Amino acid sequence: MNDSTQNARPAPRNRLAEFGNHIYRSLFRYGRVPQDAEGQSYAVFNSLFLHIHPVKVSRHSLRFGYTLGLGVIATALFLVLTFTGIWLMFYYFPSASEAYNRMLDLRSAVDFGFVLRNVHKWGAELMVLVVILHMARVFFTGAYKPPREFNWLVGILLLLLTLGLSFTGYLLPWDQLAFWAITVGTSIAGYAPVLGPPLRRFLLGGDVVGQEALVRFYVLHVVILPGLLSIFLAVHFWRIRKDGGLSHPDDNDIPPKGGGR
Amino acid sequence: MNEVNTKHVYPEDPSKTYGLMELVKGTKPTVGLQPDDMVFTWPHLLVRELTLFVVVVAVLLVLAFLFNAPLEELANPNHPPNPAKAPWYFLGLQELVSYSAVIGGVMIPTLIVLGLALVPFVDRKRTGIGVWFAKERSLANGLFLTFLILMLVLIIVGMFFRGPNWGFVIPWESAQ
Repeated sequence: MNDSTQNARPAPRNRLAEFGNHIYRSLFRYGRVPQDAEGQSYAVFNSLFLHIHPVKVSRHSLRFGYTLGLGVIATALFLVLTFTGIWLMFYYFPSASEAYNRMLDLRSAVDFGFVLRNVHKWGAELMVLVVILHMARVFFTGAYKPPREFNWLVGILLLLLTLGLSFTGYLLPWDQLAFWAITVGTSIAGYAPVLGPPLRRFLLGGDVVGQEALVRFYVLHVVILPGLLSIFLAVHFWRIRKDGGLSHPDDNDIPPKGGGR
Repeated sequence: MNEVNTKHVYPEDPSKTYGLMELVKGTKPTVGLQPDDMVFTWPHLLVRELTLFVVVVAVLLVLAFLFNAPLEELANPNHPPNPAKAPWYFLGLQELVSYSAVIGGVMIPTLIVLGLALVPFVDRKRTGIGVWFAKERSLANGLFLTFLILMLVLIIVGMFFRGPNWGFVIPWESAQ
């Protein structure tokens, strides 16, 4: 197709147009807006950002009433939170004496700082809610059934990571709300027999919520948990494709197969 | 691409006869293809994903301009609020902990996660997939709905009906 379209193009009038075309073609190998089935296929699998999608999807999986778009909404929220989170890192400082001042700065000194913080905060609350609703959707539509058992497990892990992200982020403003919510939350972890107290000390870097806890929660919140969540999100998407797309009424009564599909 | 299951799309009914009815023009070879319900990701799925993304960003911006994220006084380890409350999604746990620390704070959460993880390995029948609240699945769906409602009730109790020393309060009376 590439050869034929290049041959069909009229001879370039000047070298500049040819040069521009060369650059464009090196970036986007196939056409501009794809018009036919072949172009539509290439548009998806020739793009790094689109190739997590299959080239074709079932009409059923596009019905908003079936999925309520919850998985896409959760992903969108995660992207927005990553973007605003990195932006917030420019202003934030994980120090018990400095963190709260940075919160005040976001309200007064930083241009649109309040919007930045508010979007991050409400996005985080919504993400917890949407991920739980997504799990409920999957349950009520029987979408965890074979061959999708493993993706249900990955989903549980993603829910736990989401809760972990929200919980670690809760401490960072270092106000009364943050301090005491984390004190209460981590004391729940301390009730577990044998493992509880060491786990709590490991999380807090001490026996009470203080500077050590703030740094640990910060590193968990901006590096470790988002990294883990990104990896398992990729596994989650990958498995959707490997399991034959979203669940579908046609998946009923298929005899189980050995090995993967 | 993965195999596409077309058995219901093109069912063969032994009581009927099949014949060539029409010839259609097309732009791609369709020899041996059965009708399926597949559409191209570009543009069908991508347009929907992008639209949803824009809606999410718009909703967040509206929320951000309307409501400020809470910010209380500087953290003070010597002045605990009474009651001190966990984030909303842990309020159900905190409520359970108020009855029993070990059962509510450790055993029940562990059982919830283990129970959820076991769901697809216990409920293996391939029926009722792909539709909301399928009749064949009313038991499983009923159990899960009960679980969700229970969690919601615990969270609401923890959020609105708990006052100083985690005592029971009526929110609309204590407000006065």
